[in-house]
Amino acid sequence: MSLRHELRSLVNYQDGYVAAAVHFDPDLYRVEAEKVFNRSWLVVGHEGMVAKPGDFVTNYMGEVPVIVLRSRTGDINVLVNRCSHRGNQVCLFDRGNARGFACSYHGWSYDLDGAMQGAPYEDIVYGDTLDKPSLGLKHARVATFHGLIFATFDEHALALEEWLSPDVQWWLKNFVLSVPVGGLEMLHGWHRYASSGNWKLASENFAGDNYHVWASTHVAMTAVQRDFAERGLHTPLDINAGSSQATPGTVFDLTAGAEGRAPLGIGVVATDDSMHTSDLRVAGRLGKEVVDWLEYRRRTYQELTAELVRKPKGFWHGLMYPNLGLMGFASHLSGRHFLLFHPRGVDDHEFWQWTMVEREAPDVVKEFAAEHVIFGQHMAGVVAPDDVENMERIVDASHAPTTWRSPFHYRLKLGLDAQSTSADLPGTVVPNPSEFNQRRFYQYWMNEMLKEDA
Amino acid sequence: MVSLEVHHQVEQLLFREAHLLDRHDYKEWLDLFTDDVEYRLPLTEYVQGDAAPAGHPVIQDDKTRLMFRVAKDESGYSHVETPKSLTCHLISNVLVEDIPDSPDLRAHSTFLVRQARKLRGEAWWAGRRTDVLRSVNGEWKIARRDIELDSAILPRGISVFF
Repeated sequence: MSLRHELRSLVNYQDGYVAAAVHFDPDLYRVEAEKVFNRSWLVVGHEGMVAKPGDFVTNYMGEVPVIVLRSRTGDINVLVNRCSHRGNQVCLFDRGNARGFACSYHGWSYDLDGAMQGAPYEDIVYGDTLDKPSLGLKHARVATFHGLIFATFDEHALALEEWLSPDVQWWLKNFVLSVPVGGLEMLHGWHRYASSGNWKLASENFAGDNYHVWASTHVAMTAVQRDFAERGLHTPLDINAGSSQATPGTVFDLTAGAEGRAPLGIGVVATDDSMHTSDLRVAGRLGKEVVDWLEYRRRTYQELTAELVRKPKGFWHGLMYPNLGLMGFASHLSGRHFLLFHPRGVDDHEFWQWTMVEREAPDVVKEFAAEHVIFGQHMAGVVAPDDVENMERIVDASHAPTTWRSPFHYRLKLGLDAQSTSADLPGTVVPNPSEFNQRRFYQYWMNEMLKEDA
Repeated sequence: MVSLEVHHQVEQLLFREAHLLDRHDYKEWLDLFTDDVEYRLPLTEYVQGDAAPAGHPVIQDDKTRLMFRVAKDESGYSHVETPKSLTCHLISNVLVEDIPDSPDLRAHSTFLVRQARKLRGEAWWAGRRTDVLRSVNGEWKIARRDIELDSAILPRGISVFF
């Protein structure tokens, strides 16, 4: 059976059924390495990670290790961390500052532009036969969007500003990267942990799944959160203790991204004042400068959204296709979580998370924001480990090949897809909760998987 | 240098703590900490050359946050601890030292924790702890714990205590 036929029968996004095979079939995983991770623009970091020449962080694009660095001339390079001689690693560190990279096997060395510098005893062993210009480290194409670094291995890929449609850019610039209020500041370091399950289990969760929060996964956390808040036992989760109080009919899910362009799924877009009210309650404890800063932010965003009938204040979670998860936008007192879901074989993935805070926020907010991240949606927090527990259980329950054809159910608010559109927010909008964003994610993923090579 | 008796008291405290954790006796475990305890686990990473320090730690708990974790797991609806992990805390290499100009003590110890989850889930955690111990009503309590964990990429999310 052709892949085309196979995939169309597995991914019935129109009816909200996606077969378990997309998470378990190693043949699909191999195609995915080519069609998704070798072709998409992937987020590999933020310019704040590599502020000065020689600064680098290591990361992955799919399963390919890369070095993201600032060159001598101030450019950002994304180099494959693999020696041209025998495929050995050339950079062994998570981050730092370097003048270049040398392989430990035979000592071939490279500068910050990936150009091959030399080989030990070159004159004696190679004479003039070594074609150094062709033996540099492989480059990925690089482009940035307000500090966010994207890279792709596809030389035919659309320009980044086309890959990101105008509505995607609007959300990234204004809400994810806080450009109207001065942008974000880096809190250095990868926070990483391994988890069972295909990487798409994490991506689809961040794209659209907030049903799980109230239905089951996080009920223990939310109950204790409310109980502690009522007893005056303060934790950094206090800011979310009020977020369930949004006025019905004022929260939405949406997918930004034009036809054929990368989708950005966003869940629980709040358009009422509940978020501000909740923030103010905590701000009262943090000091007057925090209250003033929140009011300044509010005014700035009121101007930004003046033309919109419904005015977004923030959102809970998002997913920039294919594998950048976003959280920490449901309160201005929260740090910003950026999470990469790296594939590690068909049944496993790793979370690579970094944190940012608003540059112009008062110091007390920056501290609170970081504490909120690490106590919540983080590998040692009280949120994320419950999510990955579910993924581990899914792997045990669904990995048998005889179950691959039984579909997972993504039909929540299925009938509303056609009515979407008119909430007057950038993107295609439906009432929350829904599984609209997951359906859009799989629709786009399947189309990418079916694309012929250019 | 602390006396043999004090060294013994501190070792007994750390060993008792390990038993309480392995028996899931978290209420009694919380009583081993002072009310103003700081419980911290910094980020483990491999850094080369001149690099800015990590922006925030992995855990930065006070007593309330430790209580929160315990309350969540005791609710019966904490999926990551349902069923409860089986843990075996091995504590070793205990060194106890005076802190100059302070009645408090500093205790260094090494831990190896094996965590078993459900049918096949397993994680091994290893590292070192530095505790500040304070005498409260004649009993040693942990006033500060700094944990070094030997994992740059954690084998799973953390739902156990070190």
